Amino acid sequence: MATTRRDFLRIVPSALAGASVLHPALSWAGSDEVYVPGKEGMIVRSARFLDLEMPMEVLKTWITPGPHFFVRNHMHEPSTLDASTWALTISGEVENPLALSLADLKKLESHTVINTLECAGNGRAFQQPHVPGVQWERGAVGTARFSGPRLRDLLHRAGVKSTGKHVMFRGLDEVPGKVPAFIRSIPIEKATDADTLVALEMNSAPLAKHHGFPARALVPGWIGAASCKWLTEIKVLDKEFEGNFMKPGYRFPNQPVQPGADVNPDDTHPITALSVKSIIAAPIANATLRSRAVHIQGAAWAGEADITRVDLSTDGGSTWQPVQLGREQSKYAWRLWSYSWHAPRSGEYTILSRATDSQGRAQPASAAWNPSGYLYNAIDQVKIHVET
Amino acid sequence: MLRRREFHVLVAFCAAIFCGLFGFVWTTRVSAQSADLPPGPIQSKVQTACMECHDARIIVQQRLSKKAWTKEVDKMIKWGAVVDPKDRDAFIDYLSLNFPPDKPPEPMPRVSAKK
Repeated sequence: MATTRRDFLRIVPSALAGASVLHPALSWAGSDEVYVPGKEGMIVRSARFLDLEMPMEVLKTWITPGPHFFVRNHMHEPSTLDASTWALTISGEVENPLALSLADLKKLESHTVINTLECAGNGRAFQQPHVPGVQWERGAVGTARFSGPRLRDLLHRAGVKSTGKHVMFRGLDEVPGKVPAFIRSIPIEKATDADTLVALEMNSAPLAKHHGFPARALVPGWIGAASCKWLTEIKVLDKEFEGNFMKPGYRFPNQPVQPGADVNPDDTHPITALSVKSIIAAPIANATLRSRAVHIQGAAWAGEADITRVDLSTDGGSTWQPVQLGREQSKYAWRLWSYSWHAPRSGEYTILSRATDSQGRAQPASAAWNPSGYLYNAIDQVKIHVET
Repeated sequence: MLRRREFHVLVAFCAAIFCGLFGFVWTTRVSAQSADLPPGPIQSKVQTACMECHDARIIVQQRLSKKAWTKEVDKMIKWGAVVDPKDRDAFIDYLSLNFPPDKPPEPMPRVSAKK
């Protein structure tokens, strides 16, 4: 009997389990443990494809360290990627199509943007009724310092024709089965913004593989899906890219819809910038605290807008007090916040946080339901038990 | 042409030799194994069809109505999941029964520390 690829996929794990007897480094094989070097402690939403969520107990710093930065993959990561032969092509509605090596990109002027990157589906687990997709809670978000040439400098070198209206990104993700490739586009106006990058570095180090080495798009203030990883092709189009991950994927209803209702894809628009949102990182939901002195902290962000205030309630929403916003701030980056509270007595409490931004948007009591659970941004809440 | 058993032994042997000689760790790979799907008459077929491309965790964390599961199964068939047409309804029933909207959330593991 011939051995098919499917047989191979079934056989390899058991073969590796056998191999693990001979080599302790492979002792995870055949077990439910997930080992991802450099990502210890992250919440595993999926190991294949790799989807890792930041646990709230590590959200303590304005810049998220690489080991704590969430990972969202739609496909398999590139199995082989040789930086010495990798190239980024720029084609389509341009006068001079280009092919640039990593060395070429490194020679260009580098620009740095501190950006809060959030998966459009962050918070999906809280949607009611439930919707399909990775059931992220709070931690598919992180803030990093991204550096690399400006996309507009590359587009300028290629000479965008007047017909160029959208810029498409294709990465080297490996597509299983008949799954459509993860290809998306952004409007030319955002592509030529001074802060939109082809990022080569994250937190002053080359991008890690899980974050798109050797290059990724960085579309600041927008949903993470806009910032294509393992970038290899940029194509200028005369209209928005038409593919699964532009439609029906990553779209939002034009009108409010009843939770659970069907939505006509023709009555939707592509999701671009992030919403105004805050999350409570401490105390952890359902924690039992042994002191009435409670340190409450979290983060708040608003995509392309700025956070102007975060208010907190410790009585389930009856009264609100402004929190102390962290000193560190930058356009597109979250603000950390904190609040010291003395619980009046032992008991159960519900803590709520509500962010407001420079566009006058405030977090709603309940998020706008949509069939894929995008942009969940309801007022955050955690229940705690104080026991002294 | 290799028989399946011979192939299995060959892969195990090659993996063992390779790992032993080179101290090899799949540094950017993660466990392809995953949480088991609950028992049921169609469990092994669901496991085979779905795990071809992804982890069982992506299934066990869903909490969906039968209508939503029907959409998901049909989407996955369109995207290449090999499901015998006569098994489609059983797939939907199995998933709807085991991962309904009112089931408590599934606790997810953490990435393990290096051993």
